[in-house]
Amino acid sequence: MIRSLQHAAQLTVMLAVIALLSACATQPPAPTEDLSVEEQVRAPAAEQGRGLQVYPLRNPAVTELSDAALAAERAGDLDRAVLLLERALRIQPRDPELLQHMAEIRLELGEWEQAESFAARSFDVGPRVGELCQRNWRTMALARERLQRYGEAANARQRLQGCQVEAPARL
Amino acid sequence: MATGERSGPFDRSNHYSQGPAGAPKKGSPGTLSLVLRRLVIHLFLFLLGLSLGLGLPWVGWLDREAERRFAERQWTQDSRIYARPLELYAGRELRPDDLVLELERVGLRAGDPGRVGRFRQRGQRVDLHAPAFRFPDQDQPAQRLRVEFEGARVRRLEGRTGQPLTLVRLPPAELGDLLPSGSDDRTLTRLADFPPLLVTGIQAVEDRQFRHHHGLDPRGLARAVWTNLRRGALVQGGSTITQQLVKNLFLSPDRSLIRKLNEAVMAISLERHFSKGEILEAYLNEVYLGQDGAQAIHGFGRASEYYFGLPVQALDVDQIALLIGMARGASWYHPVRNPERARTRRDFVLGQFLDTGLIEEDQHDRLVARPLDVSTHRQRRQRPNAAFLELVARQLRRDYRDEDLRGTGLKVFTTLSPSAQHAAERGLAQGLAERERTTDELQGAALLIEPSSGEIRALVGDREASRRGFNRALDARRSVGSVIKPFVYLLALAQPDRYSLVTPIFDGPIEVELPGQPTWQPRNYDDISHGEVALMDALANSYNQATVALGTEVGVGALYRLLGQLGVETGKDQHPSALLGAIPLTPLQVAQLYQPLAAEGYSTPLRAITQVVDADNREIGRYPMRLRPIREEGALALLDFALRRTVTNGTARSLPALLRDDAGIRGKTGTTNDRRDAWFVGYTRQWLGVVWAGRDDNAPAGVTGATTALPVWARIFEALPHSPQPTQWPEALEWFWVDWPQAQLASEDCPDALAVPFIQGSQPQVLSDCFEPASRSRWGRGRRR
Repeated sequence: MIRSLQHAAQLTVMLAVIALLSACATQPPAPTEDLSVEEQVRAPAAEQGRGLQVYPLRNPAVTELSDAALAAERAGDLDRAVLLLERALRIQPRDPELLQHMAEIRLELGEWEQAESFAARSFDVGPRVGELCQRNWRTMALARERLQRYGEAANARQRLQGCQVEAPARL
Repeated sequence: MATGERSGPFDRSNHYSQGPAGAPKKGSPGTLSLVLRRLVIHLFLFLLGLSLGLGLPWVGWLDREAERRFAERQWTQDSRIYARPLELYAGRELRPDDLVLELERVGLRAGDPGRVGRFRQRGQRVDLHAPAFRFPDQDQPAQRLRVEFEGARVRRLEGRTGQPLTLVRLPPAELGDLLPSGSDDRTLTRLADFPPLLVTGIQAVEDRQFRHHHGLDPRGLARAVWTNLRRGALVQGGSTITQQLVKNLFLSPDRSLIRKLNEAVMAISLERHFSKGEILEAYLNEVYLGQDGAQAIHGFGRASEYYFGLPVQALDVDQIALLIGMARGASWYHPVRNPERARTRRDFVLGQFLDTGLIEEDQHDRLVARPLDVSTHRQRRQRPNAAFLELVARQLRRDYRDEDLRGTGLKVFTTLSPSAQHAAERGLAQGLAERERTTDELQGAALLIEPSSGEIRALVGDREASRRGFNRALDARRSVGSVIKPFVYLLALAQPDRYSLVTPIFDGPIEVELPGQPTWQPRNYDDISHGEVALMDALANSYNQATVALGTEVGVGALYRLLGQLGVETGKDQHPSALLGAIPLTPLQVAQLYQPLAAEGYSTPLRAITQVVDADNREIGRYPMRLRPIREEGALALLDFALRRTVTNGTARSLPALLRDDAGIRGKTGTTNDRRDAWFVGYTRQWLGVVWAGRDDNAPAGVTGATTALPVWARIFEALPHSPQPTQWPEALEWFWVDWPQAQLASEDCPDALAVPFIQGSQPQVLSDCFEPASRSRWGRGRRR
């Protein structure tokens, strides 16, 4: 999945740049109607989330389900993607990657509160650094913008910087 | 004619049907005979005319009726409630015994796993042949599996040829029927989904000319008469399948000639208007195959599930033969009530299979040697899962109209785990029996929840779980006692500028003014006041006076508001004794209150249903997982720490000794006045469990949270799979070493120093004498533990 994301990042980085440039023209950014998780969450997260990455060892069964969910998502079947992710979450309820994936699907479904909640939970149980952290806060920012909580959305955008940690703080 | 028309079609038809048979008579020759003969001829012609004049409209009416009624028929089938399907994968925590239990609930039985629906356990290995199942998102074929265990964990999963499998979803167990729709039940099956042998076999036995005749089969009738005469018994009927269908669908069961005639006319009519396939499909779904209590079992689909616990596609030849034999008389050939007769009949059917070349001789000989092999678990069971099904029914009735639920064949997918349910039922029954003063004095309830999703895995509302009736898990509103206290402390901890876990609270005599009532003077359980105690120890030891002191500072109204925010209705009446749990709540409500604590600050409504689909697997309802973050995330984490301390140092400290592995359990005991109610709520990241025990008449029961409910909880928890899970503390927390008796900042090396979490800035500012500036007082931030 990571590899495919990076591939997608290359493809969409142009679009992301265009999106960012066009966003600069208006303040505050008007929510784009065709909200693309790929462009607004994953690609920039993959682009900027380099540095420290935490990829916990995954249960292959969970990987199978989350791959299937990604395939369903790409095929436009978001309901099926939700069902598959719920199955995966029954196996690993506290998997930050799954929770973030669910947040992104809820974002695509227009369920802003749920998108925000799942992304927040993913951050809580996740590594709190790196690409996943970027996706967490980007999702929360987008959801809050849609909920017209612009101040909190701006906070979320600021938190993106905290995702780039060079080395983990160990005891 | 005009008057005759009013007398009703049946009378006329009767008259004319007998007419031609009785008319021709032999008379003596001569004039008289000539006259007689003419009379007879005239009478015959008259009757012929009459029968054409009346009979043809009647036939026409029957024809239209048969067509209309067949086209408009609506099958009723009960809604089916399914447990959560068991997901198998390497690494899953699962005991072999629990897998076997789950397989049995699905309907599998011990036997040769070469056959669908069988499993074999050999030590650390289970071979099984799971039947097919139509999941809403996927048609899953039958499949052979090998599951290898390593202790209480799945080590490896293999397919038929030994290839490793990553993930297999077993078919879900059927939990029982929701709102039985009354008279009859069936599992509608398309013709193409019946096993070919069943489709050809039923024709071989009941109607060999089915493909060729037009509704009636005179040759078949003759053959039946001949066979019956030769055998001296009624072993074959002469009715075609179409006639039998007409009889079952449209006509009364009496054996009159008129009915026979109506049947014949309607049979021909059906054949004119509908294809052989439609007729056969209707027959296979309609034929009466026995009784499940008050409900008639119609069709081979349901019969297969009822008698063999298998979908019809999974049936073996001898099982098909038994069911085909029963079509002739389901109670006469009932395999449980009349096993010998049923077996003779099955062997007769197998003989017919052989005669018609459907099976080979050696196969026939092997099959007739087999015993009947009927699964009796459905007959034996007295509505298991009644308590959980009641919750499902209530949730469905809230969201759907009754007529949409009855007889429409909904499939409801739920969250119940059969093995967890078994653990809860057994733990409650055994635990109460062990702890009560006299036999059957106590009653109880138990709930198991998966915290982060809010899915209800088990629900027990009676110590005898299969008994229907008062469902204590849902309906027993009992005082919760100290189980409420964590929420008083949560309100305090949410004000980090005023309270931390080490804030001193005064545990001593206290008076609370009540309007219009005597002053309330709460006392401690042991009648001792403990003076100044740290907030977390006041909770861990469940001190009443300290809790009331704290509660009056945070406010009783705030407590009620918090309970409401957590999804629990408490009524309008507010009183200070609520601080000590004088609030009646059901065990389900208590589980709802504790869910966000167990789920690290994310609240979600407790769910029993995940998805509802109609008979064609189209989704009509979805209950997705929904999360709501609790704003006081930091305070919840502090509370979590204090509830862990309850287990290690407080009122629940007897718990670890009852468990092989304590798995970081957090918990709270609860006991009410005069020992009427005993509660224990305990949770890990994987399980939230609530146990209540007491007497139905609310009399003093001699119970306490720690000595009655806690041991029951421990029994249940011991039977559940679990593994240690890391706790991720929220960002807002910082850890500091603290020493005592006055909480002061200390260093790791200080005697009795304890690492305690604080919301940033709320840690004590006074330094302990033994504090060494060089050492670290701070103990990491948002640290994993």
